[in-house]
Amino acid sequence: MPELLNEQIKGQVKEALGQMQHPVQVLFFGSKENCDYCADTRQLAEEVCTLSDQLGLSVYDIQADAALATQYHVDKTPCLVIAAKDGETISDFGIRIAGIPGGYDFSAFIQILLLVANRDSGLSEQTRQALKSLKAPVDLQVFVTPT
Amino acid sequence: MLAAMLTLESPLVQAEMVDATEFPELARKFGVSGVPQTTINEGKKNIVGAVPEANLLAELLRVVSQGTEVPG
Repeated sequence: MPELLNEQIKGQVKEALGQMQHPVQVLFFGSKENCDYCADTRQLAEEVCTLSDQLGLSVYDIQADAALATQYHVDKTPCLVIAAKDGETISDFGIRIAGIPGGYDFSAFIQILLLVANRDSGLSEQTRQALKSLKAPVDLQVFVTPT
Repeated sequence: MLAAMLTLESPLVQAEMVDATEFPELARKFGVSGVPQTTINEGKKNIVGAVPEANLLAELLRVVSQGTEVPG
């Protein structure tokens, strides 16, 4: 399969990822059945993860690794979990990308990698304090299109 | 992106970016008519368009405080 990212994009992404302060683990969950975008998403994640020493990629199958999928709240494929990595410890913040992060969403994918790498939400003090007092789960789903 | 930022401040917050064209059934379930659409707790609140930090915080706190009530 030809590469998805051209040299120019790779250069830009590599420069952006140069700001990563801490390691990030990308967990790819695919499926052998009914997954039109699994191969492309896996390849895109592989290509991006080669662009920084701070990035690691692990590849899983939603059926074969069902327990892990449940642990990371993955219920559809393709899905990328963007987690922090400290030594051998992977810390999941609960950030997932369902579907291929191509086109317009590609920059969001890179921004999320940087967000997790720098371990700083960048949110206002008021928002941080309010979130610390949460007592019940909040599941946010942001619907986007790659076009 | 804002949704992802929120996850860093609380272990109770999860954020999933969903490609509406790849998961049309899910998009239909939550009545996605434009993107981005932010859906809180399985459709308890749907917000179409970019949403400022303070507004999203207010909405998610409102959803959580409602508990299991039917969304208004």
